[in-house]
Amino acid sequence: MNRLFGNRTAIAFLVLPGVAIMVFALIVPIGFSFYFSLTDWAGFGAFNPVGAANYKEILTADPVFWRSLVNALILMAVTIFIQNPVAFALAALLAHISQKASQIFRSIFFVPAVLSVVVITKLWVNIFNPTYGILNKLLRLAGLKSLAVSWLSNPHTALGSVIWIIIWQGFGWALLFYYTGLMTVPKEIEEAAVVDGASWPQTYTRIILPYMFPVISSVIVIDVISSLKQMEMIYLSTDGGPGQLTQFIAVYLYQKAFVASQYGYGNALSILFVVVAVGITVLVQRLFRSEGEIQ
Amino acid sequence: MNALTKTPLFDRSAGKRFGKFALYAFLVVFAILQVFPLLWVFDYSIQKTGDLFGPELIKLPLVPVWHNYARAWVDGKILRYFINSSIVVVSSVLISTVVSFCLAYATTRMVWKLRTLAAGFIGLGMVIPIHTTLLPNFIWFNVFGLINTHVGLIIPYIAFTLSFNTLLFAGQLKTLPRSMEESAFLDGARYPKILASVIAPMAAPAIVTVLVMTFLTNWNEFIMANTYLSTDDLRTLPFSIIRFQGQYSSDYAVQFACMTLVALPPLVLYFFFSRWIMSGATAGAVKG
Amino acid sequence: MKRIAALLVATLCLATGIYAQAKVTLKMGDNLPDRTSTWGAVVEQINTEFKAANPGTEIVTESYPDQPYQQKIKIYATAKQLPDVFKYWSFTSLLKPLVDGKFVVPLNMADFKKYGYIPGALESNVYGGKLYGIPVSADMWVVYYNKKLFADAGVTKLPTTIDELKALAPAFTAKGIIPMVTDGKDAWPLSITFDQLAWRISGDQTLPQKALDRKIKFTDPVFVQAAKELQDLTTKAGLFQDDLMVSDYGASRNLFGQGKAAMYLMGSWELGLGSDANFSDEFRANVDAFKFPILKNGKGKTDDLFAWYGGNYVVSASSKSKDLGVKYLQFYAQRFPTLAWASQACFPAQKVEPRSSDTPVAKSLLKIAADAKATSGTACLDLSTPQFKDDNQNAIRELCSGLITPEDFCQKLDASAEKASKQK
Repeated sequence: MNRLFGNRTAIAFLVLPGVAIMVFALIVPIGFSFYFSLTDWAGFGAFNPVGAANYKEILTADPVFWRSLVNALILMAVTIFIQNPVAFALAALLAHISQKASQIFRSIFFVPAVLSVVVITKLWVNIFNPTYGILNKLLRLAGLKSLAVSWLSNPHTALGSVIWIIIWQGFGWALLFYYTGLMTVPKEIEEAAVVDGASWPQTYTRIILPYMFPVISSVIVIDVISSLKQMEMIYLSTDGGPGQLTQFIAVYLYQKAFVASQYGYGNALSILFVVVAVGITVLVQRLFRSEGEIQ
Repeated sequence: MNALTKTPLFDRSAGKRFGKFALYAFLVVFAILQVFPLLWVFDYSIQKTGDLFGPELIKLPLVPVWHNYARAWVDGKILRYFINSSIVVVSSVLISTVVSFCLAYATTRMVWKLRTLAAGFIGLGMVIPIHTTLLPNFIWFNVFGLINTHVGLIIPYIAFTLSFNTLLFAGQLKTLPRSMEESAFLDGARYPKILASVIAPMAAPAIVTVLVMTFLTNWNEFIMANTYLSTDDLRTLPFSIIRFQGQYSSDYAVQFACMTLVALPPLVLYFFFSRWIMSGATAGAVKG
Repeated sequence: MKRIAALLVATLCLATGIYAQAKVTLKMGDNLPDRTSTWGAVVEQINTEFKAANPGTEIVTESYPDQPYQQKIKIYATAKQLPDVFKYWSFTSLLKPLVDGKFVVPLNMADFKKYGYIPGALESNVYGGKLYGIPVSADMWVVYYNKKLFADAGVTKLPTTIDELKALAPAFTAKGIIPMVTDGKDAWPLSITFDQLAWRISGDQTLPQKALDRKIKFTDPVFVQAAKELQDLTTKAGLFQDDLMVSDYGASRNLFGQGKAAMYLMGSWELGLGSDANFSDEFRANVDAFKFPILKNGKGKTDDLFAWYGGNYVVSASSKSKDLGVKYLQFYAQRFPTLAWASQACFPAQKVEPRSSDTPVAKSLLKIAADAKATSGTACLDLSTPQFKDDNQNAIRELCSGLITPEDFCQKLDASAEKASKQK
């Protein structure tokens, strides 16, 4: 069957289109990006090579770059340690109620996840509006006037509010992953635990969670990637403000290139972004792989 | 089929009824949290803008102002943008599905030297953020005159969905027995035929899932469309909301109507195909 | 199948396009998304007349709100997709990079002298001895206010000092009215206000330029005090809307137009508030303007007017119909002042005749202009490199969010000016 499974012409026909598209739309642009990152180009007009000056400035003298990385880490932490456990708990609850009710609830929980980020963001920008938004109307009605702040521009609440929008939209996905993961837990191992006299918290911590480890780890990897990639939500709501408190690297590089006319600098940010994204993802995956082996 | 459904969560009958009530109450609160914002926007999309500024917590549309939708439809260029979205999304979804199916087949079922390398390369596509190509693509795509064209959007839309789709297909294709192709091959069938009439039908669930998920991803994509397209007649649907912010910055009701109209197509699609999204998640969660 | 169909349709369009022949399409861009009232409507009127005068000409306009529009133009410059004719700004921070990159065509000064421009207006568009754009508006920094809301709150005297202005806040807040709004998200209005305050303190409008030229420093006491005043106004006085720093141009203008805010800190190009059909009759009848208040101990006078010529129109050097584009500018220069003033849509950079039918706000603006004893020219954020502008705006955002002290702010500004001066 070597002729069937090892046919080189066939392999070439199957693989080349995909690889070609990826090289064209991913790899070559990154090559260009690297080239421009070594210049002081404004995006138009003449430019000079500046060597690694842009990189040096980003790494040594640009607090906004570090701020945006820290924000991504905060988002990651909130996603992993708050959103995920809640989604898991909810998924577990849904697994215990009737199929029909569970399906209805799951459909509702997932609605935000299918909508365009533009719709979601504008939705929440309006809800957070201090003049006519329903959140502050509600707070004032409840006599909590002092809490009715300007959510997206108050330095104390801006990052939290932006993270809330992101978590809110991502919640459906987390729930769905965990629910479908729970559905794959074989009946036998759980029954065996019940026979052994385990209470349900014990069943969860000793049997189900370890069984779910692959699912949990892949959800976390996905969360890590998407936390780093946040852009549109920020771009359409706070645009990184107030100050640079809600800045994320993808927004920042866009602003540098197209607002500050520092196209070369923006490309340097872009390259560092790739390095960080690939680096962190590989790191997290390694972490889980070795953990998985211990298990 | 699954173990948990039948496990009673609250054993002691005393707390049972209360427990059940609390459980449902909890779920309902979450459900409200997830859909209320949408209902709020819809509510004020059929009222006068001034109503939004009123003192009431929520004003019900006792006299619906459907006229807002007429304005959103016409001035938001909903139809034009909808057609553009359809052109870009349908072509990118079809191509991405076929190409990733081929990639998955070659990397899971065929035997060749560079297979691991190719699989790793495809995996890399999952990690590279699309935003890193936003700046250089201006220069690179412009070489081919692809900036401000639909093709210039379709290509990255394919490229950025390939990796995930390939992974999804790979999960499904791994499970098929090799004897399938072997007997077809001995019957004299060639690759195109084997793939199309033997493998594809077996992977049908995965194909539907890939189609739906890629559709949603590309349909909702904003930043590339917003950056690369400059001719109004080429723009895609999410842009109409942006368009409204300038033109009707003072008319929130029409803006809300526009948001509702833009939200509708994926919602409709979701209600028809939610089963496939769910099964896609299974594949993604377990094999991802 | 769909692709093939789309391709077919595209080919068909192309084919018919060729046969229709000689149709020239001018692609245009501006920051006036509302085409049905005020300024946008005037431009549409000019376009209609221009098309009638030049048969076979088609005009396609792309419009965005102010800041997104500036961003778009930079993107188009990178992608070599600039519109044939577009609205831009005469500033060093915006026009000069396009001039340096040869993106815009030089114009013949003599062709435009005859259109009654206010002295200095055309000159603001000159770089290297050549004219690159035609000015459209005479811009003054003023405070708009809603007479009815003032009366409702029992305010009878217009504030002439910053202290009086601040003292008004509680009267409005008690009525559930926001005392004052402006566009904080885009930061430039606050940046202009910073320069304005520095002038009110020092009585010398040339200080920012001197600081950019590194003859003095942005860390000098004048600027620190101006920064402190600005921070007080925006964070402590309870004057501005709560979400100042996320309110964009449209959102803040809207709060004023909807009667939710009593005052609106903005430029004279918003003259059209008095005739904007999107707002109620009551609002339009009640909108008026007053001079930016002075500081009690400052050396600046009430009639020191912060004014400049910002908005302009330019023709892209890569346009295939440059001559037609220049012709359009001439047509625009001829028709704009008449149409804009007739509909009270904008305060043009050309001389206009006062009429008894002018809206109250138009009359006030004319008076403010006539009263002026000294004018400032462009605010410092637009007098240097694009990067200085970005730094300036970011620093202003931090200052007005209360994230940094006035001293830190001045330090940041000075560091950026230092950097910019080395680049030049």
